[in-house]
Amino acid sequence: MSDIFDGQLFGAAIRQATPLILAALGGLMSERVGVINIGLEGKILMGAFAAALGALLTGSPLIGLACAILVGLTLALLHAVATQEWRTDHIVSGVAINLLALGLSTYLFRQIIVPREEAGETSVVNMFPPMSLGGLENLPILNALFKDQSWLTLFALALPFILLGLLTRTRWGLRVYAVGNDSIKARTMGVPVKRMRYLGVLWSGVFASMAGAFLVLAATGQFRENMSAGRGFIALAALIFGRWHPLGAAGAALGFGFFEALQMRLQGQPVFGMQLPTDLLLMLPYLLTVIALMGLLGKMKPPSDLGN
Amino acid sequence: MFRTRVLPALLGAAIVMTALTLLIAAAGKPLGESFQIILQGATGYPRTDAYGPADAWDAVLHDMTLLLLTGLAVAVALQAGLFNIGAAGQLLVGALAAAWAGALQGVPSGVHLPAALLAGAAAGALWAFIPVWLKVRRGAHEVISTIMFNYIALYLTHWLVTERLKDPAGDAPQTAVIAEAARLPLLREDFLQASWGLGIAVLIALGLWLTLYRTVWGYETRATGANRDAADAAGVPTARRMIEAMLVSGALAGLAGAIEVCGTQYRFFEGFPGEYGFDGIAVALLAGNHPALALLSAWLMSALRSGAYHLHAETGAPKEIAVVVQAVLILYVAAVYLRKRRVEG
Repeated sequence: MSDIFDGQLFGAAIRQATPLILAALGGLMSERVGVINIGLEGKILMGAFAAALGALLTGSPLIGLACAILVGLTLALLHAVATQEWRTDHIVSGVAINLLALGLSTYLFRQIIVPREEAGETSVVNMFPPMSLGGLENLPILNALFKDQSWLTLFALALPFILLGLLTRTRWGLRVYAVGNDSIKARTMGVPVKRMRYLGVLWSGVFASMAGAFLVLAATGQFRENMSAGRGFIALAALIFGRWHPLGAAGAALGFGFFEALQMRLQGQPVFGMQLPTDLLLMLPYLLTVIALMGLLGKMKPPSDLGN
Repeated sequence: MFRTRVLPALLGAAIVMTALTLLIAAAGKPLGESFQIILQGATGYPRTDAYGPADAWDAVLHDMTLLLLTGLAVAVALQAGLFNIGAAGQLLVGALAAAWAGALQGVPSGVHLPAALLAGAAAGALWAFIPVWLKVRRGAHEVISTIMFNYIALYLTHWLVTERLKDPAGDAPQTAVIAEAARLPLLREDFLQASWGLGIAVLIALGLWLTLYRTVWGYETRATGANRDAADAAGVPTARRMIEAMLVSGALAGLAGAIEVCGTQYRFFEGFPGEYGFDGIAVALLAGNHPALALLSAWLMSALRSGAYHLHAETGAPKEIAVVVQAVLILYVAAVYLRKRRVEG
């Protein structure tokens, strides 16, 4: 057993969790102001593609990240306009955005990147260099957890605390609470409800597309078709499992990332002489979320004005 | 009439054509020729030696069978006010259940086919039950729980087909071939995919039309979806209607999977096409959740899909053109026809 649960596993867990944390907190920004966002998956995927394309054409991962955020903002703007101006059902708009992202990213990938590959050019981009820990490398725990991590991972780990501070300690945070729980009362109190909603949805685009950029610029180095692979939905599960709370959502995302890392570690490796089915491990985040929805882990209470 | 019905429909058609044109042009393919190839893929005309109406209709009617059933699944749930995003997962468990039942030894040949189809429908209904139960009893949003159940179905069927129900005769992750008696005949001898499952799907569409619009049950179900509180106040057992509608929904999606197994694939395999369940959402929305109109929208989506795939085969243009157009169509329909009625501005 000890050869499975070593520091490397926890380091890998943090790496796997990074895009989940970012996307889950993106979902939080949107759902806390009352806009359901099942389009996280699409924003991750388009973000990943834009990051790959930007970094491929310019050679700079930073520009790749900027491209990803720009594309994420565009998709988020579409969701905001659809739900706030056209008054489209939030779920329908999210479904359409996921489809659009899947179709467009694959279409553009085949049009732009695949021909380059066929011409013998590389499709691997310059990635963000892993951070060096400097003198902290001698601390065994820190070294195991944070060796070779990207700065995006550190950002993702800090983000829940930043958001918690903003949500509970600022005027903006109180307004978010008001809009998400009773938008009509909030409006009569003079809170600019629509602007708050636009901002929330746009922030979700920023964080979700950063998750996609992480996949390309810090994890794998190149774009692949449908590479988000359901992470947007795991992030959604983490958001719900964490009860729409920044620390809860990030904690759940870390837990789900741990399952992923464990699953990768256990592939083909027997535990107590038994072959553990990895499919069942991959299923765990979804199963746990269903159990949470059953109310077995205490009361689940979403923002009460969600979806209006 | 013109402003509320005809104009939006024309505008929608124009937007779809514009999107198609842009996507083809951006792929660097000649427009006139491409549209001709799409038309050929969708209808078989103009016919060539290599591709004629039989090829086109085989593909279109096969897709239409699945899209009609998953579209009806989404529609009947939406009529009761429930958004079933889980048709993909229900289709997968239905397909696997049908493949298991179809491969059983010693089943009398007269009942083997209905048994396999029923097993698929039952598995789909079962998969839809827990989400709607959570909705009715715990208030959990059915969209979230059906998404979770999609992934649980994906991993569960993958585990079963690689570990437990794998055909012992080979190494491939697939179930054994189902018995001859459990197969649906193909629509025509020269078809490869489209089976008499289409007949079943069309009958169900007509049956649902009558049930939803001509019976008390249908009226109460639609009342529940239109305004649950009002229906409650009028004495409709809304929780029951929601559960029943969702069970029907899951059964239809499961049946779609069963028909794909019994009529076309004859087995379940790793990577079974569950995404037909998602396409059902577009079919239902485009039809305004009306079972009879779903016939039309299922055909339209299948023709678009078949046209795009043919274009891909002939010119190498990405077949995802169909996916993008479908997304644009969903957004348009949702924005124009499905605006939410809200009291506040």
